[in-house]
Amino acid sequence: MFGSTIRFWAKGWIDSLFIQPDNFFHYYGFEWVKPLGEIGMYAVFVLLIISSIFIAFGLFYRWASVTYFILFTYVELIDITNYLNHYYFISLVALLMCFLPAHRLFSVDVWRRPSIGLNKVPNWTIASIKFQLGLVYFFAGIAKLNYDWLFNAMPMSIWLQAKTHWPIIGDLFAEKWIAYSFSWMGCIFDLTIVFFLLTRRFRAIAYLALVIFHVLTGIMFPIGMFPWIMILATLIFFSDDFHQKLLLFLSSLFKDRIKPLKEDNYVVLHGFKKKLLTAFLLSCMFFQMVFPFRYLLYPGQLFWTEQGYRFSWRVMLMEKAGTAFFYVTNPQTGKRGEVDNSQFLTATQEKMMATQPDLILQYAHIIKQEVELRGLKDPIINAEVYVTLNGSRSKLFIDPKVNLAELEDGLIHKDWILDF
Amino acid sequence: MKRFTQIVVIIFIVLGLGSCRPDGVDDKVEYSDLFENVADNIVVPRYAQFQSDLSALEASLNTFDASDVSSLISLQEQFKAAYLSWQSVSVFEFGPAAEYSALLRANCNSFPANISRIEENIEVGDYNLDFPSNYEAKGIPAFDYLLFHTNNNDLLVELSESSRIAYLQDCLDDMQARVDEVVNAWDSYRAVFVGSEGDDQNSSLSLLFNQFLYDFERIKREKLALPAGFASNYGIPLDADTSVVEARFSKMSFQLMDANLASLENIYLGIGNDGLDGVGIFEKLKEYNAQSTVVDGDLAIAIQEQFVICRAAISQFTNDLAFEIVHNISEVQETSNQFQKMVPMIKNDMRSYLSVTVTLTDADGD
Repeated sequence: MFGSTIRFWAKGWIDSLFIQPDNFFHYYGFEWVKPLGEIGMYAVFVLLIISSIFIAFGLFYRWASVTYFILFTYVELIDITNYLNHYYFISLVALLMCFLPAHRLFSVDVWRRPSIGLNKVPNWTIASIKFQLGLVYFFAGIAKLNYDWLFNAMPMSIWLQAKTHWPIIGDLFAEKWIAYSFSWMGCIFDLTIVFFLLTRRFRAIAYLALVIFHVLTGIMFPIGMFPWIMILATLIFFSDDFHQKLLLFLSSLFKDRIKPLKEDNYVVLHGFKKKLLTAFLLSCMFFQMVFPFRYLLYPGQLFWTEQGYRFSWRVMLMEKAGTAFFYVTNPQTGKRGEVDNSQFLTATQEKMMATQPDLILQYAHIIKQEVELRGLKDPIINAEVYVTLNGSRSKLFIDPKVNLAELEDGLIHKDWILDF
Repeated sequence: MKRFTQIVVIIFIVLGLGSCRPDGVDDKVEYSDLFENVADNIVVPRYAQFQSDLSALEASLNTFDASDVSSLISLQEQFKAAYLSWQSVSVFEFGPAAEYSALLRANCNSFPANISRIEENIEVGDYNLDFPSNYEAKGIPAFDYLLFHTNNNDLLVELSESSRIAYLQDCLDDMQARVDEVVNAWDSYRAVFVGSEGDDQNSSLSLLFNQFLYDFERIKREKLALPAGFASNYGIPLDADTSVVEARFSKMSFQLMDANLASLENIYLGIGNDGLDGVGIFEKLKEYNAQSTVVDGDLAIAIQEQFVICRAAISQFTNDLAFEIVHNISEVQETSNQFQKMVPMIKNDMRSYLSVTVTLTDADGD
């Protein structure tokens, strides 16, 4: 987390994502989340960095983890075009960590107040993290169970095509069977890995496979920190023996300061607190297991309409690109003009908007607002959007005749999306 | 739960390792043949050409004789040559040309020219051409105005005033200084450009692709849609305005547009300034066996053909754009439609195959 935040800063993304854009795309229901301006945003990131350091060293853990969760989630909610599954994952884990006693051993908190030291924790604490990790893999696997992925090796073929220049192995990437095996292996890996990790017997080999998988995807695709985070996070599946040894090794680095706890020490929650926590965790789990299936409530093809696509661990699943031409018509004169998207959006925002219907609609409303600000009331706003999905023919994506300025975003089906 | 603490601690350690993430897969840069051809046979010779055309313009200006109409005509011809060769370098607005001290696009060709500002500068005689407020009062469009805005006899009278010639000289010095700087910087930037790996924001692949797209979109919007009344400004639909065409006074709008398209076409095909065909984007798309999603078949061919169609659409006009907008708007609209058709070929298809991230951030495929 510390690494991620530093990386985010170093790449200049604070400026390019939160300060430069004139307009922001909101999450449905979170329209009230606004960026804080230059100083504010940098302050937020300084706090994120400090709290992530505090979490790692176990200093003022409770405060740090709550701060981290709130700020990280806030940053993500500012602009939906920055949405990534692994940011959602970090938010969820950060939420869980607010409740975990992760500072009760080998931490500065314990060094300060040895009485809070624990060497045993209830099973739910570790299980909740395991559950969260397993869910990510399993749902990513389920998402791959679709016709294009399995039987057309799409979009894997397109991605591999672009890597055929790699020496030695490059030629292989042009082979159709390689694309098929990558697709199938990826799918089987995602579906089964968590179960292998749970068994003592296959754990080591499963972990080895996992490291290879993530390193490979990390090199091949622009997915940032995600593979490295997963490689580390899945260590939690290993036995406490393994972690004790690791701790022992680490503590040898500070051996004067840390005294091992003599007797077993643990906490158990009772009564209302326990009920509340159980209810909270169970509802979290239930929500996450059901939410990804909400797409079933919408007609049309999920990858095309993207209704119910986000927050469902659909990672690296499709190759979609779009070009969007927006037109504003003056209702009085009938005068029509094409919008210069770069006057309102950054290149990234434009790219993300052009393939996602809810964002197309939001953008139309941004245009409407800007135009009305400049004195043209009730503009008619149409969009001609061409989208290609997994190498298919670029098609008209939404009805170019519909006046987007009159539509409101909502959770009901958007009937102005044309069929795939 | 102590484990979790440990895990977080280990994250630190491995993040340290993560920074040296394994990339030893290849030593040779994937696009180095393309970059080498673009740098050595396209960028460098084109800048050299522009530089020498500016020098020739300087010579004509220095020997200008306001009593001799042939002197004016040769100055005008030299101007036209320089304006045409500018079109071949406008796309390279990255690296040296994008440095704040250069910013060639803004400094050399901000049109339409701000006429009252030019006249005011000349009259007052006290101006700083480095100020962004003077972008529209200098560069090639200032020449366009001062050398063409009325008939040659009247121009000769005007240009007999030394302040006007001095202003032209200052505008020219300003451009030459910037172009010289860019040409010199390319000496060392060449290695950076050719050796660039990957496709992130600052990679050569991304810079070249994005400027290629941007230059094309500028032709479509600023050179055609804005004067023709097909565009909007901040969403407000604009009426046709023939005063905002490029080269308003020398009436070279279509020639310049064609030169600009040809410049992009040659980068696409990899054709050098000497006319030799090397590795271009075309060859890369061929290697990938890229398929077009906009029209049927091969993407490399589809884009090649669309360039031909766009240039053919321009060549049918016999007058300049300002005239055609007034008298032949439907053909202008048709030309604009052909330009429009190219955009998804570049934005959807070429981008997918070159895997250029317009994104400045990580993607996870959605």
